[in-house]
Amino acid sequence: MGTAFLHQVSNVGAHERRLFELSGLSEGRSGSSRRPVVIAELYRAFREEGRTLVEILWEQHRFHEARRWNAVELVESVRPEHLTELDRLVVWSAGQAEMTAKPSADRMTRLADAECRRWQGKDDALASVIQALGSWSRYWNEEESHHEMGFTQLSLQLGFPPPSDATVIDYRKIFPDDDLLRTVAMLSFSEGIAAVNYGQYARHVREPALKALLKNVGADEVQHMQYFISFSKALVDSGAYPAKEAFAVAHLFLREGGELYGSAREHVESRNTHTNWWDHLGDGAGEAAVTPEALERKRSLILHALKRITGISCATPQEVEDLWMDLVGE
Amino acid sequence: MAEIDELKNFICRKFSENVGLEPEELFGRDLSLAEVITRSERLKNSVDLMEVFAKCSNTLRKQYGIRVRLPALSLDTPISRVVELFVQECQHGRAA
Repeated sequence: MGTAFLHQVSNVGAHERRLFELSGLSEGRSGSSRRPVVIAELYRAFREEGRTLVEILWEQHRFHEARRWNAVELVESVRPEHLTELDRLVVWSAGQAEMTAKPSADRMTRLADAECRRWQGKDDALASVIQALGSWSRYWNEEESHHEMGFTQLSLQLGFPPPSDATVIDYRKIFPDDDLLRTVAMLSFSEGIAAVNYGQYARHVREPALKALLKNVGADEVQHMQYFISFSKALVDSGAYPAKEAFAVAHLFLREGGELYGSAREHVESRNTHTNWWDHLGDGAGEAAVTPEALERKRSLILHALKRITGISCATPQEVEDLWMDLVGE
Repeated sequence: MAEIDELKNFICRKFSENVGLEPEELFGRDLSLAEVITRSERLKNSVDLMEVFAKCSNTLRKQYGIRVRLPALSLDTPISRVVELFVQECQHGRAA
């Protein structure tokens, strides 16, 4: 899984098919021996293939269970004396960042439930898509818990002071609600960015257990990105959520001084509503996240995700801005 | 190119229309972008605000043939500063 992940985030073009062109459920309804997948055409699965939520949720569960890993075992096998100062900073920074995953997932679960009920009786296939999103969020939340617990506990083993209860509670502030497509598109982009960050760190780490931990976390972020792309695409496919919202979020990330640059931005917004993980990467981790190579991979992933979600291809951030402005109108 | 005052008035009017606030409230108090989001019933967050800027830019392109590149601004920026930036961009005379 780890090696595949590194290939995936380092060479989007060559491995594009593996990353994004998953087969969906067309091979049949019954075969539990079939390899579980992230369903690429979710709206069609409900609307045209007549799939049921029980079928889709079982596929989600099979996928989740097929790729679980044990954070406790990995953390216990790390040998702290073999870590560099940068490794230590990365572990601490990752622990801080991952603490904000739970409120992000909690927000999305709540939002998905409200939106699902809004569409029931108007577009039942769409209501089912959104219920599948809300239901899947339990796996997402659980996997992010592996990340947070793993990195935070390792930080303690490395001698960092534990975050105070007040800090934990502050980092748990639920994110403000927004349009559902914007929210899910934003999550697909931020998971891609996180995947590249973990890939960057994993390349430089020599200690085998920490390297394995980073690769596992990175692989989780890749599959979260795949799921969020699938859900976003289904929202756009339904016709109920305009593609311009996905473009708006892509522009927010890709524009000069945008979210893509994380804590390295000249001005990081001070928020009292919630904590964005990318605003709070520590020194070493923040610098590694904005190397030219890392930025290029992140841009590529966002542009590809945007294409998968909307069906519209853009080669540069400038094209994203131009198309978004056309879609916004006057 | 249109006179600067004309452009400025046009931009102010479009901002007011798109955020749904009276010009006296928006410019009289020189609200920060955070305050604009809070006071406007049409805006929920900075993505909505970004869309307002995009609409204003689109209108400028249609009306005057000028393409304004959208600024990335912090939320403590006063609205007068945004108008200044738009006017400056117009002065650069970027053709649509």
